[in-house]
Amino acid sequence: MSAVAHHAPLDARGPLRTVVLVAMNLVGFAAFLWPFALPALTGDRRADGPLVLIVLVGSLGALLFMELGRGGLGAKAVALLGVLGAAVVALRLPGFVAGFSALFIPVLVGGNAFGPSFGFLLGAVGMFASGLFVGGLGPWLPFQMVAVGWVGAGAGLLPRGPNTSWRVRIGALAAYGFVAGYAYGGVMNLWSWPFVASGSAIGWERTGSTGENLRRYAAYYAATSFVWDTFRAFGNAALVVVLGRPLLGALDRAARKMHLELDAAPAAPAASAEPLPAGD
Amino acid sequence: MTDALRYAGVTYSYPDAPSPALVEVDATIEHGAFALAIGPTGAGKSTLLRAANGLVPHFSGGAFAGHVVADGRDTREHAPRDLADVVAFVPQDAAASFVVDRVEDELAYGMENLGVDPRHMRRRVEEVLDLLDIAHLRDRSVRRISGGERQRVAIAAALAAGPRILVLDEPTSQLDPQGAEHVMAALQRLVHDHGITVLLAEHRLERVAGWVDVALGVDAGRVATGTPAEVIRTLAAGPPVARLGRLVGWEPVPLTVRDARARARAHGGAPGGDGDGHSRDSGDVLLAARGISARYGDTEVLHAVDLEIHQGEVLAVMGRNGAGKTTLLRVLAGVHDPARGAVATATGTPPRAGFDVALCPQEPERVLYGDTVEGEVRATLRARGATDAASPWLAALGIVPLASRHPRDVSAGQRLLVATAAVAATGAPVVLLDEPTRGLDPDTKDRLVRFLRAHAADGGAAVIATHDVELAAAAATRVVMLAGGEVIADGDPATVLGDSHVFAPQMTRVFGPGWLTPEQVAEAWA
Amino acid sequence: MNVAITPHAGPVTAPAADATRRTTWHPGAWILWSSFAGLCAFVTTDPVYLLLLWAVAWFVYTTHRVSEPTAASFRLFLIAGVVTLVLRTTLVVFGTIDLSSTAYAALEGLRLATILVVFGTFNAVTDPFGIVRLAPRRFHEPALAAALALSISPRMVSAVQRVREAQRLRGIRVAPLRSVPALAVPVLETGMEEALTLAESMDARGHGRGMRTRYRPQPWTAATILVVGSAATAFAMFLWASAAGWAELHPPTAPLGWPEAHPALLAAIALLAVPGFLRPGTASGHAERR
Repeated sequence: MSAVAHHAPLDARGPLRTVVLVAMNLVGFAAFLWPFALPALTGDRRADGPLVLIVLVGSLGALLFMELGRGGLGAKAVALLGVLGAAVVALRLPGFVAGFSALFIPVLVGGNAFGPSFGFLLGAVGMFASGLFVGGLGPWLPFQMVAVGWVGAGAGLLPRGPNTSWRVRIGALAAYGFVAGYAYGGVMNLWSWPFVASGSAIGWERTGSTGENLRRYAAYYAATSFVWDTFRAFGNAALVVVLGRPLLGALDRAARKMHLELDAAPAAPAASAEPLPAGD
Repeated sequence: MTDALRYAGVTYSYPDAPSPALVEVDATIEHGAFALAIGPTGAGKSTLLRAANGLVPHFSGGAFAGHVVADGRDTREHAPRDLADVVAFVPQDAAASFVVDRVEDELAYGMENLGVDPRHMRRRVEEVLDLLDIAHLRDRSVRRISGGERQRVAIAAALAAGPRILVLDEPTSQLDPQGAEHVMAALQRLVHDHGITVLLAEHRLERVAGWVDVALGVDAGRVATGTPAEVIRTLAAGPPVARLGRLVGWEPVPLTVRDARARARAHGGAPGGDGDGHSRDSGDVLLAARGISARYGDTEVLHAVDLEIHQGEVLAVMGRNGAGKTTLLRVLAGVHDPARGAVATATGTPPRAGFDVALCPQEPERVLYGDTVEGEVRATLRARGATDAASPWLAALGIVPLASRHPRDVSAGQRLLVATAAVAATGAPVVLLDEPTRGLDPDTKDRLVRFLRAHAADGGAAVIATHDVELAAAAATRVVMLAGGEVIADGDPATVLGDSHVFAPQMTRVFGPGWLTPEQVAEAWA
Repeated sequence: MNVAITPHAGPVTAPAADATRRTTWHPGAWILWSSFAGLCAFVTTDPVYLLLLWAVAWFVYTTHRVSEPTAASFRLFLIAGVVTLVLRTTLVVFGTIDLSSTAYAALEGLRLATILVVFGTFNAVTDPFGIVRLAPRRFHEPALAAALALSISPRMVSAVQRVREAQRLRGIRVAPLRSVPALAVPVLETGMEEALTLAESMDARGHGRGMRTRYRPQPWTAATILVVGSAATAFAMFLWASAAGWAELHPPTAPLGWPEAHPALLAAIALLAVPGFLRPGTASGHAERR
């Protein structure tokens, strides 16, 4: 009906929704960190495996269900997600070869330009689509979607907007990209660690203390993805420094041209009823 | 019966715009009419079209006064999606407007949004496939069909939901003559056989001017309606025959070759003497291609091509789509390795891209990345370590007033000029332009032709790959025709274009070989 | 609904059979099949079962692969599986190195590799757009965004190549760290302009209007139900064996012993091969129109 829904701002939230969203995100976070927090389960370790996996995937699924199922995005947001998502897909391909993939860059700049909600969606949709395209679908997908979604959401919470100086904006984004490079790798490695390395000396020990598991994980991480993640962290920071300003400039312009309202509360219909003031 | 489209007192400004895009527009288009919006670029044609289905103001924001009523619905009260079953909108870039991969699914998308019953959808999809003559494309990916086919799919997708009003923004600007022909024929059928109301914005009026019922002349936001002849005359727009009519004072101006022939007979036949094909003596060879055979993927696209490019030449390379024009340019520029044969500069070495030869691509946007127009030129100068100022290059293309504008904020034709300036700033003696016809309004065309002539006169050479006959007629000193990868004609424009049926400019069709431009004819009659 | 446009050629009849179209199965069937097969691999480290699963996965792949770029991913997954197996085995260096611990590590690695291979089949037999089309109404917009990302990405990749060449032709060489903006900015800016055109076109065609219907929804056929049912049964048997212990799912490694091959579980794995015997587009797998 109205022009209001048309310009549905991406970040409008009611208070209840915010509470539920935060709670779901915490559950999601727990799903990643479960090896440190979960008390020892009884019975044969290996039989629990599928159940644990199903619970983890399920909880992340619920989070995704909530964020992706909110509706009311509108054509503009969907089109932007499509184009920026295409960039994620295109950038993920060479990543398989080189180890470092620039796919975080569209997510970082997209999140910073258009807000945390958009950033989360971009990360999730981008990983889903690139999984489809490069043929990377598997039980790890919900984890990837949420993890990259968080990277995008975080970028949206950094300094942004016309009143921020470029130095601050790029500096913050570059630092964030650096940290996110490690955090993503660390966390993605973590959820699968008990399934992959169990039984080895650096595997998850269900009867161990949190401290012991942390030490074991540190060793596992160093042996597996640390080098990868270092490349990613430095790569992200470098690309943000080199490309951040022109890319963010392009996205800001696009938002203006599309007349995209993202942070405002639902506005009055865009068609103003007053005739143009004389002499304008 | 109500009118199809009615604009009443429409005044509109884009957000943050210094001046209004539309001023007090009053216009009425009846059901079943074929309406044409004409005017210089930036005059407001696109805005006018987008007001028909509510994109202006709902999508674009801004300040809107007046009313637009489409088939009884006021766009103030209806968002574009509520008008989807009343007005079909087809943007210029059809490829970018597609949502899914298969043609058939694309046609169904609009109806899915409207909640149409699936059985009904099936029927409508079949109908619209036949209507636009694209039934053989139903299973194809939208990415792998030709430009003309894409445009027709976009039209079909917009019409599938049943609207009776079709609004198109420059549908043929990115198409070659074949594609344009198919699209225009389809539009004609829709209007004449099926009673669809069509509102079209176009620059290339040669084909369509004869079919149009009502023209809307758009100039600086103001719209004047009338017959095509009236509007074309007032706006100084139109096909070459119309330009000739204005120059010579014919009233009303002719719109088609046929009209012009009749007038010419009344005027006393062809002007005396043969036209001067404005060919020149060849200067030194700047670039020589010998025995070039080139492949694109698995197909051989060029076969045993010999071509010499001389100082002082403006060479038009013409031919159908797929004839090998772009590949030839890329071989000449040194970025495509020929399977056989070689290209050499005057010194005998292969050409260095960006140094001996520079190329302005088909989509000028591909090179634009600066913040300002001047910045684009400076980027090229910086890359080659030159310390010259940017302004001479801007002046050569007539775009000095645009120096501090953002390159993507200017019109499509101006973007081409900016890209050409950026490419020319390499200082390369041989400048190539690949299909510089997108969004080419008459003003841009003039500036481009002036630049090409000046560049050639200064000791350089220019090569344009084009299927725009009128551009070739206006600019070229030599024409080469390619077909099936081979050179089938090479000579001065009067002869080569005069010999061809398909590639003859309008003046040749009216007056015979040797007559290329209206200015030429008018001068001979003076 | 406005009056239908009648084409100038006679009355329209819908084509008789769905011959050219949607001869693949409902993607949900494949998601469930591969999930169950993956879970079966998950609960055992018995190399007999695991290697048989490899064979089943390969069999289903050869009979159902879609001739798309994703079909090539099977080989990639196979390689990834082998690499995982090797890597997991080498993790043994962090503890005591002897035959038993190495065997243990190798079996763990084989299990992971098997899961990868199963998903390799999944990726090779599904059409990416089919999965997106599957999305329930609630997720229509994100699913559409994913579909768009898929369709637009090839255009973007070729745009990068073309921009690079175009910049070269004006004297700007784009190297990995030099002049990257000259490459990235035109691609992004053009992408943004295309996003604008796309959004306009979507709005103009009624996006976001309300109740959507689906053109040619993909039904669950007898074949797909059979596939899901047999896969679920297979997993149920493995789960039962794991919980109740009537079969040895983890061969002994300390000391090293022979793996078991329980006939009931062999039969379960055979059930997972059912898709290979059913053809999409046959009478049993034929997609009906409504």
